[in-house]
Amino acid sequence: MAIVEDEAAARTSTARVVAPPTARRPKARKSFLPVALVAPAVVLLVLFTVAPAIYALILSFLQMKVGSGLLGGGATEVFAGFANYVTTLTSGEFWAGLGRMLIVALIGVPATIFFATLFALCLDAKRARLVGFTRLAIFLPYAVPGVVASLLWGFMYLPATSPIGGQIINYFGTTGIFFSVTNVAVWGVVGFNMVILYTAVRSLPADLFEAAELDGASELQIAVRIKLPLIAPAITMVALFSVIGALQLFNEPTTLKPLANAISSTWVPLMRVYTEAFVNNSIYEGAASSFILIIMTVSATVLVNVVGRRIAGRQH
Amino acid sequence: MKKPTLKHVGAAVGVFAAAAMALTGCTASNTSTADSNQVVHLTFTNWDGGMQAAVDQWNKANPKIQITLNKPSGTGYTLYNKLITNNKAGTNPDITEVEYQALPALISSNVVIPLDKYLPDLSKNFSKSSLSQVQFQGKTYGVPQNICPMVFFYRKDVFDSLGLTAPTTWDEYAKDAAIIHAANPKQYIGNFTSTDPGWFAGLAQQAGANWWTTSGNTWTVGINDAATKKVADYWQGLVTQGVVTPEPSWTPQWSTDMNSGNIVGWVGAQWAPNQFPSVAKDTAGKWVAATLPAWTAGDATVGIWGGETEAVTANSKYPAQAAKFVNWLNNSNEAMTTLITQAQVFPAATAAQSLPALKTPPPFMPNQPDYNTLMATAAKNVRTFQIWGPDANVTFDSYSNAFAAALQNKTPLSAALDVMQSATVTDMKKLGFKVAG
Repeated sequence: MAIVEDEAAARTSTARVVAPPTARRPKARKSFLPVALVAPAVVLLVLFTVAPAIYALILSFLQMKVGSGLLGGGATEVFAGFANYVTTLTSGEFWAGLGRMLIVALIGVPATIFFATLFALCLDAKRARLVGFTRLAIFLPYAVPGVVASLLWGFMYLPATSPIGGQIINYFGTTGIFFSVTNVAVWGVVGFNMVILYTAVRSLPADLFEAAELDGASELQIAVRIKLPLIAPAITMVALFSVIGALQLFNEPTTLKPLANAISSTWVPLMRVYTEAFVNNSIYEGAASSFILIIMTVSATVLVNVVGRRIAGRQH
Repeated sequence: MKKPTLKHVGAAVGVFAAAAMALTGCTASNTSTADSNQVVHLTFTNWDGGMQAAVDQWNKANPKIQITLNKPSGTGYTLYNKLITNNKAGTNPDITEVEYQALPALISSNVVIPLDKYLPDLSKNFSKSSLSQVQFQGKTYGVPQNICPMVFFYRKDVFDSLGLTAPTTWDEYAKDAAIIHAANPKQYIGNFTSTDPGWFAGLAQQAGANWWTTSGNTWTVGINDAATKKVADYWQGLVTQGVVTPEPSWTPQWSTDMNSGNIVGWVGAQWAPNQFPSVAKDTAGKWVAATLPAWTAGDATVGIWGGETEAVTANSKYPAQAAKFVNWLNNSNEAMTTLITQAQVFPAATAAQSLPALKTPPPFMPNQPDYNTLMATAAKNVRTFQIWGPDANVTFDSYSNAFAAALQNKTPLSAALDVMQSATVTDMKKLGFKVAG
């Protein structure tokens, strides 16, 4: 799901590059055409993103209170101020979940970047054979929905059905579970990121490599010393996507949860939001947690972007 | 989270169409002179297999009250929370299935209505313990459908080969557990499951626990009471010794173990033979049901795991007709005969407990022709909590998390009960219930 946004983001960033810096247009006459063209997108955005967001924001400041009587018939919504936000921020489980998410991110993001870069550079190597097939094979897991992938890996992890040594290795151990969850996520996204990086490598001018070759650089040196620095901006983008993906961790742990005792219903922040809203039926606290998460996600995105630009900028 | 938008649109359109139809329906009924000639259409949400047969039977016999059966998109609390949310929008079905432990929550959210003025006197055909699941403060909110006493299922072939018989007390169960595991280190008498809060609640009921009690309008929560701690400590011992496996039920791992004979016993409930074909298909005819082991020899008290009632929602425009159907479904021998043969229900209605249909054992248990006699005896000795709390969903979720964590980290199970207690009390207080202590 994150990918839809990612692709859109990628498109806008290229559009920004391609667009002429100054557009000299005659003063626009009042015309309905632009409005009409933009209207469907705006209407959909307002209806399905802005309006629900505003509703969620309102919900996050409410609370359910039951009436009098044993079973408290006649429950009503009352204004709760910041109570829901305070509950979330003071909940040990929220921060523990955030910690677990960060552990997964700390393993997953570098692993994704490493493998995506490695595969991209290997595919671009001169001696690489069966490039088309291999590229497709690496990309294919991305086409498997996260839930299906998690079920598939879950079967491989469980001792009774494991073909990969689940009888000896405890994939659902207290430490092992982090690697098991990360593995599913990384397996799913490496292919997509590899394609981005591969495209970046392919678009580099070939005469650079010819020159390097004439100077006596080996294939490995060309890859590490020339290609790698030149695709740094693309790697930054991949890192950004991976961080956002890690913040949205939900499918993999949720699907693996019923298989073992290792994952709770509040294992990562998004699972806690889901549990609050749809299991404990406190949609109000769920909304508050969501907004806290949105603020964190946006901050993290901006941070990665800024840091990434700095790094990319330094290399030019 | 973004994908369902299209579905939402579809649903919204559907709701709109339904509302439009309801509106036109209203106008029609207002202008019509003879109200008794009006055909009433009711919707009924239920996820049990075999329910369609009973609905068809009713529709044939009652052309004036036509029922449409809907399977919910999610079962259990997914459905109940949806009912609570949709209650305000007025889009709930007329009749819904509710598991006993969720009924108080639906009452406190005004989702279901009292049916006393529409129903006959239920005390003639239902035991007190069954009625206590649907009657609160003198009001009746549904007709109990079934009783699901807990029973012990075991692999008779394996027990026989070790010279064991079904354990009658929990002490014997523990001894048998050790013998079975010693004879074959791969084999276990059973598993302690963190995914089934209702299972553990049933074991606590047998031990005399009362997770919720009420006096006047005040609740007392006792999830970490002495009786429940006794149960937790007992299982703790078995898990620590390693003679019971701490794996959760309903996983591919569990199915494989049940099917291959690595797990040779299951503390289950009346409905287990319905689940066996999908859990352990190759073992048909090898399992035998026995009375649940007792804490003291000769005490026949057992808890329940599961069980449901049908309730009428506040959104229903025809509560009288809906209640009539509910009463027929769960309080008539003809409907019960269908439910027994189609869904292997054990009826809560006492008259239906001696129906000829019960003489046939469930298909998975051909070797135990008196299966339902055992259920009838167990049903008489059922002990439940005084009442289920209005936020049993929070308690249940807390069970899964706290017990899973305790099993994973090898910390005391009784401490997990304290976590459940505090989560439940905190939530009840937050919602505004009066809680003692």
